[in-house]
Amino acid sequence: MMNYIWAAMICVGILFSILNGTLHDFTSGLMESSTRAVQFVIGLAGIMAVWSGIMNIAEKTGMIDKVATLALPFIRFLFPHEKNSDTIAMMLMSFMSNIFGAGNSATVFSLKSMEMLDAANGKSKTASNAMCMFVAVSMSMIQLVPITVVKIRSDLGAADPGDIIIPSILAGLISMVVSITICKIYERKSRHEFYS
Amino acid sequence: MSFILSTVSILFIPVILTGIIGYGLFKRAPVYEQFIDGAKGGIHTAVGILPFIIAIFIGIEAIVSSGAMDFFQGMLAPIFNLIGIPQELISMILLRPVSGSGSLALAETIMELNGTDGLVGRAASVMVGSCETIFYVLALYFGVTAVKNIRHAFAAGLGGYIVGVYASVMICRFI
Repeated sequence: MMNYIWAAMICVGILFSILNGTLHDFTSGLMESSTRAVQFVIGLAGIMAVWSGIMNIAEKTGMIDKVATLALPFIRFLFPHEKNSDTIAMMLMSFMSNIFGAGNSATVFSLKSMEMLDAANGKSKTASNAMCMFVAVSMSMIQLVPITVVKIRSDLGAADPGDIIIPSILAGLISMVVSITICKIYERKSRHEFYS
Repeated sequence: MSFILSTVSILFIPVILTGIIGYGLFKRAPVYEQFIDGAKGGIHTAVGILPFIIAIFIGIEAIVSSGAMDFFQGMLAPIFNLIGIPQELISMILLRPVSGSGSLALAETIMELNGTDGLVGRAASVMVGSCETIFYVLALYFGVTAVKNIRHAFAAGLGGYIVGVYASVMICRFI
């Protein structure tokens, strides 16, 4: 899947650069974006180390197990077969960071969660239901205050920069319900296939 | 309302930090060693995802800098007109799924051109605030796993995104 998407992006890019006569920009863009990728990861590495360190404390002191137990009903609905409390805690932290707008921290927790789900899935080439559900929920998670866009609006002189917060939460909730529903429908369908 | 929400957001990280470290001290755990131990793992993960990030970044750059994005935008304009989505938002709808920073810059441009308080400006803001960078997330999240077949994750993300975009415009029309 990823093979095709990625190859298509590059090939379509090259094709359009030739048609538009912008091959030069294409090449310099390529260099720049790879540099930006490295800068992005270096920036991320710092906060990643901080959160991994903090979460290690929470894990070793047993705090994670306590929090995971509290959130069990919510997790039971989305991930009926998830038993590992470390994975549950990691996913919860990812959702919470998303909600509170801590984007980089959310990335850290999400990637850790995916690694754990991958291990639980036996490093299979086919995604598990839990992985799909986790990605779907992450992709549509609401954010309480989209701080960057509110900042841009206030810089541009909006009458009330924060007046998009409630609409954003509403639209986010709607999209979240749709994503979760699609996952649940597919889960049910694939279960029938296993039995028939 | 928005003041309460933003205060809660600002307090989130400090509260978590104090809670976890405080609990550790209360349990008399070697918090410093545990932090260092975990931080090593974090650096390891960061290095591990670098190749995936580079791949995603150059893929997105190829689409945007070559003008392919502009072409798709022109092609889709009639369809968006038909379902009542303003034409000024098409570039946002196409760019948002692949690039978070790109769509933020685009939101700024859109608001400069169309104003912050009209339908277009507000809908663009709501999209940035509520719709995720789905292709980026899919590539990055599955990038750290062994998965080749992502099954219904793609459909779930895309479905949620399309509905989210449409909801953004409709909500801004009525609120």
